[in-house]
Amino acid sequence: MRPYYQQINPTFGEWTWNENPSDQLLSSQLAYLHYLNAQWINEIIEFRQGFTRVSIVWKSPDRQNQFIREIEGLELIPVPLTSKVWQVPVCYDPMFGDDLIHLAEEKKISPSKIIELHTTPLYRIHFYGFLPGFFYLNGLDPLLYTPRKSMPGASVQPGSVALGGSQTGIYPKESPGGWHILGRTPLSLFDRQKQPPVWAKPGERIQFIPIDVQQYHDWKLSQPQFVEQ
Amino acid sequence: MTQELGKVQLLRCPPGTSFQDEGRKSGANFGIPPAGAMDLQSYLWANHLLQNPPQSVSLEFSQPGLQIAFDQETFISLAGGQAQVFVNEQLIENPSLIGIAPGDRLKIGAFQKGQYFYLCIAGGFVTETYLESGSDFDSVTESASKKTGEILFYKSRLKILDQKAKVKWNSSWFESPIIEVHPGPDWSLLTSGQQLELKSRTFQLSKNRSRMGIQLEELFVNKLPDLPTNPVFPGTVQLTPSGKIIVLMRDAGVTGGYPRILQLTEESINQLAQKKTGDSISFQLI
Repeated sequence: MRPYYQQINPTFGEWTWNENPSDQLLSSQLAYLHYLNAQWINEIIEFRQGFTRVSIVWKSPDRQNQFIREIEGLELIPVPLTSKVWQVPVCYDPMFGDDLIHLAEEKKISPSKIIELHTTPLYRIHFYGFLPGFFYLNGLDPLLYTPRKSMPGASVQPGSVALGGSQTGIYPKESPGGWHILGRTPLSLFDRQKQPPVWAKPGERIQFIPIDVQQYHDWKLSQPQFVEQ
Repeated sequence: MTQELGKVQLLRCPPGTSFQDEGRKSGANFGIPPAGAMDLQSYLWANHLLQNPPQSVSLEFSQPGLQIAFDQETFISLAGGQAQVFVNEQLIENPSLIGIAPGDRLKIGAFQKGQYFYLCIAGGFVTETYLESGSDFDSVTESASKKTGEILFYKSRLKILDQKAKVKWNSSWFESPIIEVHPGPDWSLLTSGQQLELKSRTFQLSKNRSRMGIQLEELFVNKLPDLPTNPVFPGTVQLTPSGKIIVLMRDAGVTGGYPRILQLTEESINQLAQKKTGDSISFQLI
């Protein structure tokens, strides 16, 4: 799997993978990100990662031109993905999961089936975006695909675990949001006092572990534990 | 060695007033937007007038009514739009650079031109920095904006500046309706008819605007597909399925899922920031 480079303007371009997000795509993407870090970091103002693109802002047009010449024929060996799985506790009680009951009715399945479908997969972290500490995950069960709300909710609480479209994720801070809220985690997703401010890295996986209201209130740790799987 | 800190009090602070500098050059990999002055050019100019160190934090405001009390002799500079500026109720004719005496009160009156203003103080405001920037952003700095009553500190530095040398306040650079853009990463998803329409139509700025983005008033009918979430930057123009055109600004999230049809140049981001609701613009591809 190999991306092609699209020059968008004299100091900006993107590596493009023309396929759906997957572990294979991420493995390939991580190899190209490592290559940028190792070989080109001094020529770059910044680069950003999305599901199917890596966007690069160059310090000058010359540097981008040189890059385009030098990557001709470049094909990197994908980076094997880590076996690290973060176990993220989530309380799916309706007191936190505002939209759980409604979603179950809409899909004509029980709330417990929704929880089961949501806690079964291991989700792959692809990158951070949207808000500080918000990670984009791949792996939602297609049965849970749900269009976003037509009117975004005014305020979603920090730690809210939600789904929208083919995505699921956790709101790190209070924010307006158009996703359907299933529950809440007692963990902290972003802490500016820590270096780095987040505990998980792209390529690692997330597993949602159901907990009850008592466990939620008693939860002491701000970071989840992890297993190798 | 401790340097003496000067202080000013915000007697009245309109909503949306914040500390801003050039913004963060790193942190996007944690989902942290760059933030920074909406109109970077005016920020740099205000800092330059005082010969402040680069990256000195300025006070950005976008609504009239700001009132500040000073406790010692200093200089301040103002850049961005044009507004009525008073010191102790006296209208200041050219407020680019103002000498301040102890006890002076500054008041910002009605805006005549522009939308964003930068107030710098000799020596620079002192604030906590994160990733080498003092730009306010929720969850990254202590607060997202300043409040009435708040006291701000600055590195007291009294260097006599030549007030005669001050340049005339000029805002003509942002008055042109032509916004220069590059094609965005998803430009090729548009039909040639749509591309032509984008280049030839006039759009108005809607009242839906913030430091995150500016929505345009007119709808642009399209049938572009849903796309995977990918990187966006300040100046990225997004087109939503319902036809809304949104120009992302300094506080926008670092990734987005709507097609990215255009990318403003660095200069045109500053220019657009200074446009008001109802102003007309047209895109010119370069």
